[in-house]
Amino acid sequence: MRDDLTHLPASTPNDIRALVERAGLDLPEELLQQFIAAWPQYEEMVRRIPRGFDYAEEPAHVFRPTRIAGETD
Amino acid sequence: MDIPFLTIAELGRAYERRDLSPVEVTRALLDRIAAHDGKLHSFIRVTEGVALAEAQAAERELMAGERRGPMHGIPYGLKDIVETAGIPTTGHSKLRQDHVPTEDAEIVRRLKAGGGVLMGKLATWEFALGGPSFDLPWPPARNPWDRDRLPGGSSSGPGAAVTAGFVPAAIGTDTGGSIRGPAAFCGIAGLKPTYGRVSRRGVFPNTFTMDHIGPMTRSAEDISLMLQVIAGFDPTDPGSEDCPVPDYRAALDGGIKGLRLGLVEGWHEGAGAHPDLGPAIAEAVSVLRGLGATVEPVRLSSLRDYTDCKTTISSVELYAIHERDLRTRPRDFGRILRNRVLPGALIRAEDYLAALRWRTALAREQAAVFQRVDALITAGARTIADRADPDQPDRLVSAPSITMPFSVSGVPALAIPCGFSRAEGMPLSLQIAAGTMQEATVLRIAHAYQQATDWHRRHPVLS
Repeated sequence: MRDDLTHLPASTPNDIRALVERAGLDLPEELLQQFIAAWPQYEEMVRRIPRGFDYAEEPAHVFRPTRIAGETD
Repeated sequence: MDIPFLTIAELGRAYERRDLSPVEVTRALLDRIAAHDGKLHSFIRVTEGVALAEAQAAERELMAGERRGPMHGIPYGLKDIVETAGIPTTGHSKLRQDHVPTEDAEIVRRLKAGGGVLMGKLATWEFALGGPSFDLPWPPARNPWDRDRLPGGSSSGPGAAVTAGFVPAAIGTDTGGSIRGPAAFCGIAGLKPTYGRVSRRGVFPNTFTMDHIGPMTRSAEDISLMLQVIAGFDPTDPGSEDCPVPDYRAALDGGIKGLRLGLVEGWHEGAGAHPDLGPAIAEAVSVLRGLGATVEPVRLSSLRDYTDCKTTISSVELYAIHERDLRTRPRDFGRILRNRVLPGALIRAEDYLAALRWRTALAREQAAVFQRVDALITAGARTIADRADPDQPDRLVSAPSITMPFSVSGVPALAIPCGFSRAEGMPLSLQIAAGTMQEATVLRIAHAYQQATDWHRRHPVLS
């Protein structure tokens, strides 16, 4: 069974406004309204991401210090 | 000879026989661009002076018997997120409309060293993501098969310019399908190589972990010739892979008898897919079987899953790239780009990491399949090219993408034409993908298919 966040309620326009402010963005009202209309499909997308990975499952980003050290050779 | 539609391979042979010269070809293409691009908008900037100087240099060298490689004297265009020293590189955006780089991107350096002839900088969706947009300093490119339609994106200019016979080759970039989509909608060939096969240095980033640079041409053979020049390790690109570069042209020969192909079930049919696509893919499979390949059904995760994974990762990385401009000059973004970048500000770190862990799982799923098949077959696009409608809703998230699965896994994937829709007369496309660094396999299958079909030899008539 998938372990995701689709059960959470959708953010309200006021929630979105608050999240944008918390991100430190100061959008003109017209642009904010455009984004309030655009965000719900992104929120649904993010909530569909499965979460039930094993502790050992690494993300696709891999830190390779030998490669970075090689840049300075 | 019909110069505008000669391939790289045909031009190379014509140069060897001295039937044509690079200057003659360059002038013919510049004239064609001047006559027709006013209606197609595939170029942001035509670099006529550079093109003629490089063509003259190539001509002198070829006449002296010096041959630098398959791109020597071959005109090409660059998507305008590829940096060119001394030539504006705008990203098709107001944000960078006056940006003049001081250095060439690594691929430009390689194309110059290979004797290529730069014809100009080509239209893109804003910074290879925001489009199709009608509120930018330059209009969106149009589809040469039907100017009321778009060429797809984000490599819209490369798709339109190659299709229109303005250049035989162009460089596109592909994060979620931006080479393969325009190739599919325009009826040309477009390759997204393996992540790390072609250097990203000097190309404006979209999504650090998924950006690919690749060729767009009119045949698989031409893809092999251009890839030969641009592929290879670049220590200045942190994602670059230090793997040997095979002889891609030589790998085309030998046919596909005995190759095992997997036809992905459920991706190219069903809701949202063009009704002519299923029969066109079935016919392509029949051709490939006739050439000696075996084709078996394969099941992978849904396009919805791949699209969600890719777009979540992209949104966050995009925001990291554009945050400063969003804070200081949000009105200078096109509406579509702004609304595609802003979600990254609201996606939490744990969501991003979950998507990255999911990416590993999805890439493993494909790697397991590539243990039992040599390549996967699906469509290059699920629809035909969209109409040019400024009011069309944004479908980046809502419409599952058939190109994103191979963006997520980073494997090579090529789109080539496989028919035309009956009602609209617009191109349909086949997509071929193989395991990491298996570009030669993808190209061999596509070349065999194109030796048996002529879809890639059909060209629009420009009026």
